[in-house]
Amino acid sequence: MKGSYTIRVGNNRLRYEFTICRNITILKGNSATGKTTLVEMIREYYEDHELSGIQLESSVPCRTLSGRDWSIILPAIENSIVFIDEDNDFLRTVEFADAIRNSSNYYVIVTREGLPNLPYSVSEIYGIRESGKYAGLKQVYNEFYRIYNPENENKLSEVNTIIVEDSNSGYEFFSAIVDDNKKVISSEGKSGVFGKLLENGFEKNCLVIADGAAFGSEIDRIMKLIHNMESVVLYLPESFEWLILMSGLIDGKRVQDILADPGDNIFSEKYFSWERYFTDLLVEETNNSYLKYAKRKLNPNYLHDTEKKRIVSAMDKAGKLISE
Amino acid sequence: MLKIIFGECAGVVTNPAVYFKNTYEDEWITDEMSRNMILDIDKSTVISERIIESPVLGGITPKELSGGVKTLILINNCPDKIFNASACGDNCAKWLLEMGKNKDITINLRHLMDFGNGDFEVYIQNTDQVVHNMRELVPIAGTIVR
Repeated sequence: MKGSYTIRVGNNRLRYEFTICRNITILKGNSATGKTTLVEMIREYYEDHELSGIQLESSVPCRTLSGRDWSIILPAIENSIVFIDEDNDFLRTVEFADAIRNSSNYYVIVTREGLPNLPYSVSEIYGIRESGKYAGLKQVYNEFYRIYNPENENKLSEVNTIIVEDSNSGYEFFSAIVDDNKKVISSEGKSGVFGKLLENGFEKNCLVIADGAAFGSEIDRIMKLIHNMESVVLYLPESFEWLILMSGLIDGKRVQDILADPGDNIFSEKYFSWERYFTDLLVEETNNSYLKYAKRKLNPNYLHDTEKKRIVSAMDKAGKLISE
Repeated sequence: MLKIIFGECAGVVTNPAVYFKNTYEDEWITDEMSRNMILDIDKSTVISERIIESPVLGGITPKELSGGVKTLILINNCPDKIFNASACGDNCAKWLLEMGKNKDITINLRHLMDFGNGDFEVYIQNTDQVVHNMRELVPIAGTIVR
């Protein structure tokens, strides 16, 4: 599947309305906000449709997955939104991650645990809250809200240390553009960021650059580590390749149209996470040009003054922190 | 004291809601601490052992309580068991700390629960350390769970 799906589901007491934007959505938050109730409603509607007393509006089938036989059931589900409650131990397994890779389904997973085997976006982690829209009516209306907005908290005017999740082209780029009084460290993957922050940047002015498209499993412990600390700033673009595409270096209406609404072009069957799509898009768009891109080794043309400035400029506030 | 085992751990009740449904006793529901937890977290009022008034769902039974409250009630009433307290949201944290003031309880956490901005005393069994606030807890627990 690709694109976004708005779902309305409810009974005579409780209604939910939300939009699912990517292949993996995480639901978490306080107890008693209605996460399990939502999954139960989806299950009851799937079993008995309107005869369940539940109304559900969705352009694709919605259903649930649970229990020991999940791996037998899942291959039979296609082009659906699959809801999974937190009491399923298989969520943490490599087998589950392998099973939903290349899947035509979207998944809505209730869990407070970070799931490092799954590449979900920081921006697709939601809580549920009561919507004020219909206050006073008999029915309670619930909506999703985004839990993490890490870049809103940028209060630094300068940084000394830059921790980069990437160990290839992204790391090469940032290492090459900073001046000598700044240190750039690769965490060699998303799971290394927490440790590198503890070792190097915890108390100093530090900028963390990571791929927001797949950093979801890490964001909670990072946000809690830097809570109330103005000395650490997160910059989480979708990916380094997305940043290059956003910089305007690559001409053409096609790229701009895609960036305006990437989800409409990203099939879950092909791309487990958006970062891989943006890499493929950049490679494709720069093939046979002086900006020919390879993830493993940075094309030095990206370090020419004009190109460098365009990319740093696309980083907004984080770019200023690096270049000043 | 509240004692925490972070990460996966053998012998833990991983699905407290199911365990609650099959083992709860009527008197657990009307116990004063349970009443207070149900009111605070689920915003619901215990009418009797088997009837609870929910502002959203109407009259419900204990089986329809939130997963967080069920887990708290189990932790309070089954000291010989260790429960997966990642079924509890951050709004349950103060109740875990409260229980830990009166007796030793051991819980399992598979995520970084937020115990708030205040001081507390929590024993991390994995590393044999006592921590006193989130600033001390997160660097230790964050290396074990996400």
